[in-house]
Amino acid sequence: MARVLVVDDAAFMRKVLTDALAKGGHEVVGEAANGVEAVAQFQELHPDVTTLDITMPEKDGLEALREILAADPAAKVVMCSALGQESKVLESIKCGAKDFVVKPFQADRVLEAIGKALA
Amino acid sequence: MTTEEALKALGESTADAVLGVLSSLCADGVERGPVAVVAAGASPLQSIPAPSVAANVSYVDGVTGGNVFVVTRLGARRLAAVMMGQEPPAEDDANELDELELSAVGEAMNQSMAAAAGATGHALGQEVEISVPETRLLAAARDAEGVYPATPHATTVTFSLLGEPCRLIQLIPNAFVVRMTRALNDRVAEQHGDTATNDAAPALSTQAIRELGVRVAAELGRTTLAVGRAVALTPGAVLELDRGADDPIDLYVNGRRFATARLLLIDETDWAVRVEQLLDPAAALRPTHQGGN
Repeated sequence: MARVLVVDDAAFMRKVLTDALAKGGHEVVGEAANGVEAVAQFQELHPDVTTLDITMPEKDGLEALREILAADPAAKVVMCSALGQESKVLESIKCGAKDFVVKPFQADRVLEAIGKALA
Repeated sequence: MTTEEALKALGESTADAVLGVLSSLCADGVERGPVAVVAAGASPLQSIPAPSVAANVSYVDGVTGGNVFVVTRLGARRLAAVMMGQEPPAEDDANELDELELSAVGEAMNQSMAAAAGATGHALGQEVEISVPETRLLAAARDAEGVYPATPHATTVTFSLLGEPCRLIQLIPNAFVVRMTRALNDRVAEQHGDTATNDAAPALSTQAIRELGVRVAAELGRTTLAVGRAVALTPGAVLELDRGADDPIDLYVNGRRFATARLLLIDETDWAVRVEQLLDPAAALRPTHQGGN
């Protein structure tokens, strides 16, 4: 079981992710709707894993990823991205994200990515 | 390559990408029609359905334009229900969509538009970056007037989403038409053997990307039914598909047709496919099924 911070600008996606994580026995300790909130919540909550959407207002997922890893180089982050953002996915992996999940996704794929990030 | 051909090719690749994403969200509930190029001077947003939900994404690499997806309020309600694992409602009600419903529809459009931008980038031979989608409710068609940027070119494609009409409008800047024409001309030249290289499949540079999971679907054939006949179907009814037993089937990866194949039976228990022909990108851009069937 992991303590997870879920970051996505769509309330619906946060719900889907939260449901999928609960199904896998994980605890969602916080939710954020943009990159600014994500960085603040990360520093406050110190989650085991953070899921990050890429396209978000205020600050996008890539920038949030860099700031999270600057704050904690051991942070485990899984990117969640829609199709068509391959170069950003690639960049996030280069930056240090552990895995990525392409939307629309199945709950199992999310759990697999969380498991991989924790391994 | 004429401007109209370039616009149609761009419209086809975008519409197929949107179809792929919507199909994965609501299985059999989505069909698309042909791409129409909007005549110069005409408004692409004319006669859109209302009340409706419209989501748009803009391009962020300095060119004006983007995609607008408009779905009736009932269609939006049904899509949200299906995405949340619920039964889609038969009738609309006067209530506006609640926050979670709007968010679900916005997310479906976000995913569709991201896939569309990916397809556009693929067609243009360079990545196209998009903005965060904006979702708005349109009480009447005129609510869309003046909201979206005017571009020199536009295409529209109609979809049927869970029984409701919706429309994808591409607002296309001149720069895209120029790039598209060039990209397609280059591919035609390649097919004639002018160059032996195949730059359509760029090398993937990290292991992580290589491990990216994509959904592959094999399609045996299609047909079109009148709604009246579809709802009256009973067990045992036989539907003829548009393929002969000797025809190859189509393979799709994340909704994009990429190869033809033959269906195989392994050990007399499991289905498999043998890839017969990989489609080059120019062929993959061509419509696979004309006329919205």
